Parts: sequence; structure tokens; C-alpha cells
Amino acid sequence: MLLKLSFSSLYARLVTVGMTILAISVSLMLYMSVEKLRTSAYTSFTDTISQTDLIVGARASSVQLLLYSVFRIGNATNNITWESYLDLVSKEEVDWTVPISLGDSHKGFRVMGTNKEFFSRYKYRGSQSVSIDKGYLFEDLYDVVLGAGVAEKLGYKIGTSLVVSHGLQSFSDHDDQPFRVSGILKKTGTPVDNTVIVSLAAIEAIHVDWSTGAKIPGQLTPIDEIREMDLTPKNITAALVGVKSKLTIFQLQRWINEYPEEAMTAILPGAALQELWRVVGVIENLLLGISVVVIFTTLVGMAAIMFSSLSERRREMAIWRAMGASPFTVIGLLMLEAIFISILSITFSVVLLFCVLNLLQPWIDYNYGILVNIEMLAIKDMYVFAVFIIASITVSLLPAIRAYWFSINDGMTIKL
Amino acid sequence: MKKNIYYSLLISAMVSVSAAEETRQVDKHEHGVGELNIAIEGNAIDFEFFIPGADIVGFEYEAKTESDIALVNAALEKFENFDNIFSLPESSNCNLVNSEIGINQDDDHDEHDDHDEHDDHDEHDDHDEHDEHDEEAHNEFVVHYSFNCGNIKEIDRISFPYFTTFPNSGELEVQFVSEIGSTSFEVEGDEPFIDLKGKI
Repeated sequence: MLLKLSFSSLYARLVTVGMTILAISVSLMLYMSVEKLRTSAYTSFTDTISQTDLIVGARASSVQLLLYSVFRIGNATNNITWESYLDLVSKEEVDWTVPISLGDSHKGFRVMGTNKEFFSRYKYRGSQSVSIDKGYLFEDLYDVVLGAGVAEKLGYKIGTSLVVSHGLQSFSDHDDQPFRVSGILKKTGTPVDNTVIVSLAAIEAIHVDWSTGAKIPGQLTPIDEIREMDLTPKNITAALVGVKSKLTIFQLQRWINEYPEEAMTAILPGAALQELWRVVGVIENLLLGISVVVIFTTLVGMAAIMFSSLSERRREMAIWRAMGASPFTVIGLLMLEAIFISILSITFSVVLLFCVLNLLQPWIDYNYGILVNIEMLAIKDMYVFAVFIIASITVSLLPAIRAYWFSINDGMTIKL
Repeated sequence: MKKNIYYSLLISAMVSVSAAEETRQVDKHEHGVGELNIAIEGNAIDFEFFIPGADIVGFEYEAKTESDIALVNAALEKFENFDNIFSLPESSNCNLVNSEIGINQDDDHDEHDDHDEHDDHDEHDDHDEHDEHDEEAHNEFVVHYSFNCGNIKEIDRISFPYFTTFPNSGELEVQFVSEIGSTSFEVEGDEPFIDLKGKI
């Protein structure tokens, strides 16, 4: 009976209540999306690289090297020479290495030069490896393997020919040496999806006539001649390294960091990521804090609307009293109303959240390489909802008490 | 200021001498920040500490006076018993199998006498931070412990009495690696432990 009454009363004030619910839902959604983004970013980052013991590159901060070599974000690090790389490979602690070379792009997607071992050594989400969906890995010098995202977004198929651009956003293309798509990888949910992968030799080949940093006009080495050339790379961007024993990692790291011929840095991917998260964590907490404040503000807003509606509803309350409602029933009704509003807001905010996440997911994935996890609500979210409902009841107590006084003073006659 | 210039000259001269035959690189060195590497494989757990002398004994020049030498020896003695430095959960049943305790005296720069020909290095005046040292030397305590554990998975937390043993100590930058992967920690005296649940 009370429920029905409260609900009908809310329904009678549809517009005001609707706006209140909208405001609260949006603020709740803001909070939940910050939380979702935060956890998704963390898992997405930590799942991106596993079973690689060290990443070796030129002297740089560990975070910069990690972001550039694995996530292809942030500033480029310098390259290291092939000689230093060979020195590293010959160390007895080293089990395997995969060289990678970055710097060129294709329609905004990074081009990465590496060798075939990348496909067996690079692991993500624990121990998953990259596998080919269609076609085969590069056999010819001008074969490319596309990440799932690249193939999907550009609509490329096996056999499509493409041209690599010099640098990241440049108008000079390596158009004299077109490539052919030989394979497309399965979706991984890592930056590999947005990468165009070629062999290291191919990276060297397309820069044959570029010794001055730009195409030398008039000089065009025929492709047949390039194929005959020694295409051992002169430098690489970074190397992924696996060691034979974990106990020797730090020894090898020290050797690399103190390598006298060239300034290099070796990082432990997980350690560098944790370092990054100690910085990001501060901002995350700030964002969370702000969204909590926003929720609080809307709750106060709800109380304000309830207050202002009280004077309009003195007649309504008089009728309630006339029908035999005690002043406590009036309090109960108002609190019920608050509970209604918060439950409706929660439901609406969850719907809103999933709509927004579904809409934004491809964009976030495309631009930041973070796969937002759209999954059912966690138990943690339920706690948040419970706290929110309790908070809204508490906030509604103030107008409820006022309504109680009104109803005691007014009784059944209203002196407006 | 004059003193600063003198030191700058001296330092630039030292750098030029030692760099004559090799590429010039200088390791990082930050007072108040010790490094600790922990590696786990199978039943073995290894600890490597690299701690600036300032954090342990309060100075970084080579100990020459009797009192300084006594300080260094006392510090080395404290390292002998690893319980002064860190503690592992009893249930993990870890036994020390090997330890190496020493000081890495960075004495590349000790032999500087003939710097007259380097007078033209006036532009190096940003070495003010070296004034506090009597000599250009950064000694570092290098300590290595290896354990063999009966139940290595029981190590869920490592705490560091290190911070109370050496009151001058600042923070420890910890790199940790196990078969599951790597991670890092920054440990300070107010929370002197690391939580390794799910990391081994």
C-alpha cells in the first residue's frame, strides 16, 4: 500500500523526478566508467607482455622504453646498434632474443620490423602466443603480416598490396617498394592488433635509398638489386630477451646497463609497468575522488529538490494524514521515495554505462590500445550501490524530518 | 664560488683523464635510495642489495680514520646477520646457502695529480653538488644472499628491519622477479615490508 502510494506520488511528479534520476545516473555512470577504465587499463597493460624477462633498448627511462617498444606510445627511444645486439645475443645468460625495429608507419598504424621468432616468443595474457588467422608469416622480403585490427579497419585481405610511409605522419612514402599482405593475425587485444609487421630485412630494404634521412632524388635502386644486397640491419629499436635462469636476470641487466660501448637500458617489463602505475595511480585516485564528489553533489541536489517539493506537497501530505497516515508514515514515504529514486538511478546508470562503454570501446582500443572490459558488474560494484543507497536514505532524512514537522503542524488544514 | 670553480676544474679534469680510452658513462647514484633485487626460481631465492654508503654509515669517502673504519666494520657486521636486514616468513623454511658482503669503492677517480693542462674547462660549473664530498668517491655496500627454501610458496611477505638497523637509510627500490613475472616496489621505513601474495 505504502509502496504503491509512494510510487504513484513519484509518477505524478514525473518530470522533476525524471531529471533527478538522470542527474544521479549520469554521476554514478561517471564513477563506474572511471573505475572500469582504471581496472581495464591496468589489466590490459599487464596482460600485454608476459614471459619476456628483459626489454633492452637505448638509454632511456624504463617507463619510456616500455611504452615505446611494447605499447608504441610516447616518445621514441634511440636505436641501438646491431653490434651491441649481437654482443647481447652471445651472452651465456641469454636464452632467446627477438629484435624489433620501429619508426615507419602505414596509414597511422605502426610498422614493426622483427624476425619470425617474434611470433613464437611474444606472449600475452599469461602464456598465449600470437597466431596466424589467415595466410602465412612473411616468406618473401616484401611480405607483411597484419594485426587483426589493421586488417579489419583498412579492409585488407591476403594479397592486398600496401606502401609503408616514412616516419609516423609523413607524406613521403616508400612507394617504390610496395608490400603484399601474406598473413593476418588473430585478435589478441594487445597493441599487436594495430601493428603492421615486416621482417627486419624489409625495414633495411626500404631505407636503401634513404641514407640521408630523405629519399635521394633520382636515385632508385632497382628491387632486384636490393634483393641481392646484404640487408642485415644496422640498428634496431629494442630487443625482447628471455634468460635461461631467473636468478641471472639482474646480473644480465647490470651488464647491459653498464655496457661500455653503448649506452643501453635493460628493464623488467613488469617492474617498469608497476613503476608507471605508481604515477598513474595518483591520477586515477584523483579521478575517482572527483567522481565521488560528483555523486555527493547530485545527492545533495536530490535533497534540494525534495525540500522544494515539500511546500508544493503540503496538500498531498494533508490528504495522507486525513487518510490516517501518521507523521512517521510521512517520513517513511519520503525515505521510500529516496530509495526508489536511487534504485531507478542505479538501474539507469548501469544501462547508460554499458551503452557508453560499447560506443567508446572501439575508439579507446583504436586510439590507446586499451581494451575496455565490458563485463557484468563485480561484487565491488554492489558494495558501491549499497553505500549509495544508504547515502541517499541519509540525505533524504533531512527533507523527511521537515515533512514530519510540516505534517504535525499543519495537521489536516493547511495555512498557506 | 671560487671554491666551486676549483672543484669543477678538478672534476672535469678527472673525467677527461678517465675517459680518454672509453665511452663516458656514469652510473646513477642517489643518496637515500638503495636498490634491492630479488629473484626466485625453483626453491632458490636471491637477494642483492646495492646501498649508498651515506645510507649506512653516513659518508661515502674511503674510510681512513679509525672511527670511520670502525663504523664501516660495524655496518658490515650487521649485514653478516641477514635478520638485521630482512626477514622471511618462518613457514617458508629458508636456509642461507651463500652470502657475500662487501663495499664497492668507486675509486676510478683517485689518481688525479697532473691536471694543469686541463685549465681550459671553465664552462663546467654545474658540479656544485660535489662540494659536500672530501673526495670524489661514492662507495656502495654490495650485499648478496642466496637461500634455499623448503616451501618457497609460503613467502607472502618480506619485511625489512633494515630501516631500523640503519637509521640513515632512505627508501629501497625493489625489483622482483619470479616465474610468474616481474614487478617492483618502493619500500620506506613507515611501511617496511613488501606483499608478495600471488607473485611467486
